[in-house]
Amino acid sequence: MKTEEKLSPFHSVILIHMIQTGVALFSLPRVLAVQFGTNGWLAVFLFGAIVAIHIWLMSYVYRHSGGRSIFDILEQSIPKFVLSPVYIGLICVWAMLCCLVSKEYILIFKMVAFPTTNPMIFELVVNLLTLWLLGMGVYNIAKAATVFFWFVIWMVFLLTFFYGEFRWARLTPFVFQGGELKMKELYSIYAAFFGYELVLLLFPYANPQTKLMRAAMAGNGLTVAVYLYTCLIAFGFFSLQQLKEMLFPVLDLLAYIKLPFIERIENLLYGFFLFTILITAVMYVWSAKEVSRRMFPRIKGGVLGFIILTLAYLVSYIPDVLSEVLDWLQIFSVIEFWIAFGLPALVGLVLLVQRRRGQPSNG
Amino acid sequence: MNIFRTILQGMLKKPADAANAGQSDMAYEPENVPGVKPTLVHTLYEFQDCMDLTHRAYPEIGVDVLYFGHLVDNHQLAQDVLNPILHIRADEVHMLLRQTQFWPAADSKELIEGILSGQVAIFNGADTYLVNVSGPKERQVSTSESETVITGPHDAFNEQAGACLSLIRKRVKSSHLKVIKLSVGEVTKTDVYILYIQDIANMLYVREAIRRITNIEIDAVHDSNMLIQYIDDNPMSIFPQFLTSERPDAIASKLAAGRVVGIVDGSPSVFSAPTSFFEFFSSSDDYYQRWMLGTATRLLRFLAFGITITFTALYVSVTTYHYEMIPENLLLTIAESRSKVPFPPVYEALLMETTIELLREAGARLPTKIGQTIGIVGGIVIGQAAVQAGLTSNILIIAVASSAIASFVIPSYVMSASIRLIRFGLILLAGLWGNFGLAIALAAIVIHMSGLTSLGSSYLTPVAPFKLEDWRDIFIRAPFGLLVKRPTQAAPPNKVKNKMRR
Amino acid sequence: MGNRFAVCLSLLTMAALSGCGDQRILEKVGFTQTTSYDLLPDGRLKIAVAIPKADPEAELSRQLLTTTALSSKEARINLSRQTNLILVSGQMRNTLYGLSLAKSGLWNHIDTLMRDPSISPQVKVTVVNGDAESLLKKNYEQHPRTGKYIDRLLEKEAQEQAVPKVTLYEFARNYFDDGVDPVAPIVKDDGDSVIVDGIALFRDDKYAGRIEPGDSIIFALLERDFKKGEISIELAGEEGKKEIVMFSSLISSRKVEVGHGDAGTRTVNINVDVKGSILEYIGRLKLSDDANRHELERKISEHLSSRGNQLVGMMQEKGTDSLGIGMYVRNSMSYAAWKKLNWREEFPDVQVKCNIHVKIKDYGKFR
Repeated sequence: MKTEEKLSPFHSVILIHMIQTGVALFSLPRVLAVQFGTNGWLAVFLFGAIVAIHIWLMSYVYRHSGGRSIFDILEQSIPKFVLSPVYIGLICVWAMLCCLVSKEYILIFKMVAFPTTNPMIFELVVNLLTLWLLGMGVYNIAKAATVFFWFVIWMVFLLTFFYGEFRWARLTPFVFQGGELKMKELYSIYAAFFGYELVLLLFPYANPQTKLMRAAMAGNGLTVAVYLYTCLIAFGFFSLQQLKEMLFPVLDLLAYIKLPFIERIENLLYGFFLFTILITAVMYVWSAKEVSRRMFPRIKGGVLGFIILTLAYLVSYIPDVLSEVLDWLQIFSVIEFWIAFGLPALVGLVLLVQRRRGQPSNG
Repeated sequence: MNIFRTILQGMLKKPADAANAGQSDMAYEPENVPGVKPTLVHTLYEFQDCMDLTHRAYPEIGVDVLYFGHLVDNHQLAQDVLNPILHIRADEVHMLLRQTQFWPAADSKELIEGILSGQVAIFNGADTYLVNVSGPKERQVSTSESETVITGPHDAFNEQAGACLSLIRKRVKSSHLKVIKLSVGEVTKTDVYILYIQDIANMLYVREAIRRITNIEIDAVHDSNMLIQYIDDNPMSIFPQFLTSERPDAIASKLAAGRVVGIVDGSPSVFSAPTSFFEFFSSSDDYYQRWMLGTATRLLRFLAFGITITFTALYVSVTTYHYEMIPENLLLTIAESRSKVPFPPVYEALLMETTIELLREAGARLPTKIGQTIGIVGGIVIGQAAVQAGLTSNILIIAVASSAIASFVIPSYVMSASIRLIRFGLILLAGLWGNFGLAIALAAIVIHMSGLTSLGSSYLTPVAPFKLEDWRDIFIRAPFGLLVKRPTQAAPPNKVKNKMRR
Repeated sequence: MGNRFAVCLSLLTMAALSGCGDQRILEKVGFTQTTSYDLLPDGRLKIAVAIPKADPEAELSRQLLTTTALSSKEARINLSRQTNLILVSGQMRNTLYGLSLAKSGLWNHIDTLMRDPSISPQVKVTVVNGDAESLLKKNYEQHPRTGKYIDRLLEKEAQEQAVPKVTLYEFARNYFDDGVDPVAPIVKDDGDSVIVDGIALFRDDKYAGRIEPGDSIIFALLERDFKKGEISIELAGEEGKKEIVMFSSLISSRKVEVGHGDAGTRTVNINVDVKGSILEYIGRLKLSDDANRHELERKISEHLSSRGNQLVGMMQEKGTDSLGIGMYVRNSMSYAAWKKLNWREEFPDVQVKCNIHVKIKDYGKFR
């Protein structure tokens, strides 16, 4: 009866937040420490601000899109054969991001608890779940994201566990000293915020009540708050040099927690991060599917999703150790960075031209 | 998948077809002759070989009476039909039959259905009349076996739809309570009543429920729990998508909340829709206690849900893969109790879970007195002996028993059974992949539930879509002063239920 | 369609994969509870692990395996050859380092432990005054099995501030921090028991000196804020008589002030406020009298401050900044100045003054 429901504001906030949160959080304090040095956690503000400005720019596109999908807008002014390579590029990048994100997660899990199990089996299972969720459409994905959100967000309260060992003195009064900035790494910090750009594809699934752009802002705000808090705790709990040496500081944070009835809860809680990974992965592959539906309108969405996931799964066989996956992710996050900025810019430009020409916006 | 389905359907279809074919050879199909004027001969022909049909002829006044003796109230029969007929002469018959209890039947099909539902048919020449003196044997209104409460009303529905309706009408004295009668089942012609309160229930749901019930094409429906499986949104799901209850107070409260209620004749459980997953965790008790107690009990039930789903699986996962997670004090106890067990934790857990399920099923099937014996034999003797024989560790027994107990805390038996079944999946996955398997299983459950709907509304309602105000009456039981609005899932046109501020 | 398909496939994979290789079923696993490391004169390592046994039929409550090897991971392979159990370290609680090894540096071993994701960051780091292996090997009949005994002993002592709580996390954190040096508790064999023997001071990762057990509470006062702890003080009374004060239920908070002199000299004041109750006092003062009590407070304060100064002097002599004074000095300077400063060389010359101020909360239920 209500299959064509639009996203509600709350769901959009959670969805954006859940796409953004991912495994990047686990290494974020380290990357910040290496790049920015002392008080690197403050850099989360900077990145959050860039994202916020970006969302603000995208809201221009949204306001003038009149709720149309960006592909409609593009295809109205640009011939399809010009767009096709762009589309194919988008599909490839998003499908690969989906698989790499889940593979990175799995490889870390493998390191922690399953040192000799073949990770591709886990990858397959996660991909199956992704496929299942994908088949339900974006409204149900948002519903699942909300439930997953409650499964994950309570972990923030676990950080109170570290108040005892937290020392402000360890943070030092210096801001951004002793780090070495590398462009490459900056991309990977920015990658921790990725996901908000998919809001571009959500236009047709929102109505004015959704306040989509404000929801994206709020979702990003939530992400920034969570990241900031986690990184602050990490910087005050570990010493700076130590933080630079740790691969996954947040994993070590979790490992430190000791409850009377259960210890080493990182084993269990890391499993819970599967939920955020699933949402991230499914939304990327969903985006890829949305684009491919433009290319192949005759084929059913479910089949397209299946094909994309299968191909991505096969490609993800190639990088088989964590460092390779990280390298690949690095490359793809650079590309994704430019997509995140390029795509809305392109759409904005097209919209501008269309308005100049006075074309009707309900094409 | 499709091939499998067609085979399955084929298998299901065949016997029904065969039965139909056999019937049509023998019997005269009354459905084929609508609008035929009823005659005694035709009626007797219809009821050929029905030796429980009573046929009384009064040749002196030219009246024939047909009825099923076991479907009618003998006292009423004597008073309304037989006594008047005995005391009149032939010329008075016409006057008599003009009394209002005699209801002229114009259609043969109607007449036959009337007789079948406990009315008396009277033939007088060309005229035919029906008198409603039906008074079938019915079970007394008694307490519910499956949904007992400590405080609050103890009456429960019985199998007679009329009794159910009267119990509801007694509680909801409003002309706005509307009842729609539908019929389901080609053979059984079971009566299904749809109830709703006008201006509170959303007509979209009412129409949807009616549409789905009228679309049922099946030979027989015997229980409302069976009926809802024909009309729910996802027949493949493990979760019940409509709430059923035997308690009139619970059903009355569902009606007042704007939900649609359905009664199936012959079934003591009454269903309400739309339903959310979390509704299965509330019991009418919660409202009869002080709000803090109600809240605590509700939270306890959600805790029980967590325990029953994860406890044994966590044991399996921890003892198989994640020994790091055990605190030092427990470590040796668990390892010691495991040391004699000859098989891996998954098998051990599955064995014990199956045993508990066997005990439960055996206890449910047997009379209460023997059921208790089963409990003692199973629980104490087998449990104790299994540990001593080294077949299982006593920590597991604790885990299995507590998760079984926790599963019985869930008020709805159907839901509790579903959850117990899911547990096996979790145990398997935990045995296979440890905590990763657990996470996978939880994710799968959540994904499945996000796709579920009940009459088209989300199954996870106050959580997703997010309705914070509903949380007051789902996860906790807030004081009545704060329960101002009806649940959003039913989308009632009239939202406010409590105008008193205090 | 999609979901049934997914379920089918996952069932298939599950059936195909049951029984994969990373199982560590509890009873087949030997969890090392304590590991000891000693450096042999020939440069090889002597490593022993204590494994508590879960088998109720076994006579001994633990297995103790010993080997010598060049590295700890090689040792693990050697040890594994000696036992029927799969050796794992996820339940490790304590690591004992012999003094010989501590003197030559611990970092390599701690690094190995930190690297292993199965090892908790909450594994304790303990120095043994003497031979760690023989301490671990010995059975102390009046006490629980040795590994657990030492672990619990340290835990309890740490709660009462007699030793700092030092785990892999704390050791690594202080090792990496440029403004503080790591410490670790020392234990030694005392015949029938194991006894806590003060605090080991490290210079980087090398053992550099020791704080006597009697002074460790002073160390705690200077090092951190805490609640709970007790201290026994001998004051010089009149006419050569000793006065003894037992000061307990301590609540202490400290503040570090850094001052910069004109000629690049630095002064550091460590101001500590201690509140506590007196449960034992042998001396001439009357505790119920305000003036007397204040006098006692003053005397205790002076006494503690001078002991604190001695302690800091000792640490300056050894060149170990175990109190983390460097952190505060660092935070009072600009980043560039701090980087120019060689704190290790500077530390002995800094003027550190301890001002411990004592306040008596109550003196029991007797006047």
